[in-house]
Amino acid sequence: MKKLACLVSVGAHPVSHEARYSRNDGLALGLGLSIANAQNMALEVLHAGNVESPALLDYLALGANNIKVLPVSDDANILDSLVSELNNTDLILLGTRAEFDEDSGLLPYLLAEKLQIPLVNHALDIDLKDGVLEILQFLPKGKRRRIRVTLPAIVTVHPLASIKTNYVFAKKVSGKITSLANAYQATGLAIKQSAWTMQANSRKPNKLKAREHVSAHARMLSAISSESKSGVVVNEGTSVEKAQVILTYLREHYLIDF
Amino acid sequence: LSQSHLKRINPTRPLKPNQAGIKRIVLSTRENPAIQKSTTKPIRTPVNVNQKILVILHSDNGMLDAHARQSIAAAAILADIETAVVVLVLGELREELAEAGADEVRVIPQLDYLHYQPNVELACVDAVIADIEPVRILMPDNFIGDGDLGRRLIAKYSNRTAATQVVEINATQIGCYQKGGSQLGVMQLPDIVLIAADAAESKLPFVGAAVQKDCTNLFQTHLPSDNPILDLGLEKLAASDIALEEADFVISAGNGVNRVDTFMQLAKVLDAAIGASRVAVDDGKFSRDKQIGATGKTVSARAYLAIGISGAVQHLQGIKDCRHVIVINRDNSAPIVKRANLSVIGDAEEVMHALITLVSEAKLNKERTPE
Repeated sequence: MKKLACLVSVGAHPVSHEARYSRNDGLALGLGLSIANAQNMALEVLHAGNVESPALLDYLALGANNIKVLPVSDDANILDSLVSELNNTDLILLGTRAEFDEDSGLLPYLLAEKLQIPLVNHALDIDLKDGVLEILQFLPKGKRRRIRVTLPAIVTVHPLASIKTNYVFAKKVSGKITSLANAYQATGLAIKQSAWTMQANSRKPNKLKAREHVSAHARMLSAISSESKSGVVVNEGTSVEKAQVILTYLREHYLIDF
Repeated sequence: LSQSHLKRINPTRPLKPNQAGIKRIVLSTRENPAIQKSTTKPIRTPVNVNQKILVILHSDNGMLDAHARQSIAAAAILADIETAVVVLVLGELREELAEAGADEVRVIPQLDYLHYQPNVELACVDAVIADIEPVRILMPDNFIGDGDLGRRLIAKYSNRTAATQVVEINATQIGCYQKGGSQLGVMQLPDIVLIAADAAESKLPFVGAAVQKDCTNLFQTHLPSDNPILDLGLEKLAASDIALEEADFVISAGNGVNRVDTFMQLAKVLDAAIGASRVAVDDGKFSRDKQIGATGKTVSARAYLAIGISGAVQHLQGIKDCRHVIVINRDNSAPIVKRANLSVIGDAEEVMHALITLVSEAKLNKERTPE
């Protein structure tokens, strides 16, 4: 019997920053539910944090029948509590990046390192057959990749995954949230125990630039002469020759593969 | 005017001061030697190297993108006179990295991001780190494997401080958005830094030595005995199915394209995503979602082929992130010619036809003679 788990976190509304479900974790939950339904398995939905968080009700509405909460105080390291809870889980699903706290996207990697199981990131779709996962992975520039992984594994779900989630009010009312008994003590400030100081996001970040020591004469010269930035201009030749120039350029810069 | 054989002179050509210091419009193309700037930059040579900064990045098709160059530049700016910048390129490298600011370059060509092999990557990178013992590791936080590998490294070196998605970096501290972007967290410069795009400028007043160090056999020695992850290969979506913003090759039409079917045919043989300027969209030749520019979409393709587009400022805004801009235009003084890397002056219809024939032939030749 395989064990399937989905980790959910508290998200933030992009404008009001009000607590709500995290969209990315909602996708992971939807994917987990579809696998659980197809394989006739139970999906364990886990949250490390506050039992009273209103965001958990959203996950109930999205289809999680029973959410287990690991009671962790706000300043505690959730990693240790999760590792002990997920020790025998075969497939762990979660979003790529959280919307609260450090949101560094490190949690799945740290979990994989602690549990010593493989991790595949940016999944768009998952298919589970006889303990073997087939994953469609997102790559930029319109590329997708198929990967096969043997369980156990951690899979992070990409925000662009096309999974339909239904928000059902009746499930929000009927679902249950249970809190696990053992409360975890604070073991560290944050996941990577780094000392952050917080500032309101009101200023533009300063770009790192190289300091340039240029003489005033050189600056004046660069100001009075207009530097032509344009590339090669082909005026002459027949249309076939011109087309050949374009093709050569594309080939030289490896923009086409023929 | 376009019919006549008179050569057009750029009406906005610059004024040049002559010997007496009087500004004159000079028709000859010879540059005034007094104005010519020296183009050679000094080489940054670290002395008594006692520490190294390591930059790890994946190449994309043999080239480094702007984000990767910014990471190398950031390392070069942060490095003092006793610090060397070592760049480890995973995947083939087809360009020089001296201009980017690298002092030493190591390439592992087998670790291209198109093959998913995180375990081998991690083992190879680990060996390089053990070899050079860097004081700091910088990586671009992108989707072509560096963000993934960087986080694996952070998890592995759990005793080292680290930060991801760094939007602000200087010699003492870094800053990154937290709590869903509502706050800017600031901390001391950590050991492993994953830099977000545009956190540093890639322009440097110096060049690096870019000494090549061979490490091609590193790959063979670090192949694992059993791999739980199996790569089944890439699936490339057809260019027409990709969102315009995500496309790698965009071909776009403007007022100078009279026959849309020729243009569509060219897009099909080149397998490029289709865009259009505002005029072409307003004329009803293309749907509104194809519009590129200030009121339309912003594209970041590696190659942008503009046909019959004059290049209004609004349009140029939409293509500011494109690396290679190629132009087919009737008018050689159009503003887009200034932006373009290659401009072909001529009739769009004729050049498009010639290009279709050439590309089809080249594709046929490639099919006949497989490597």
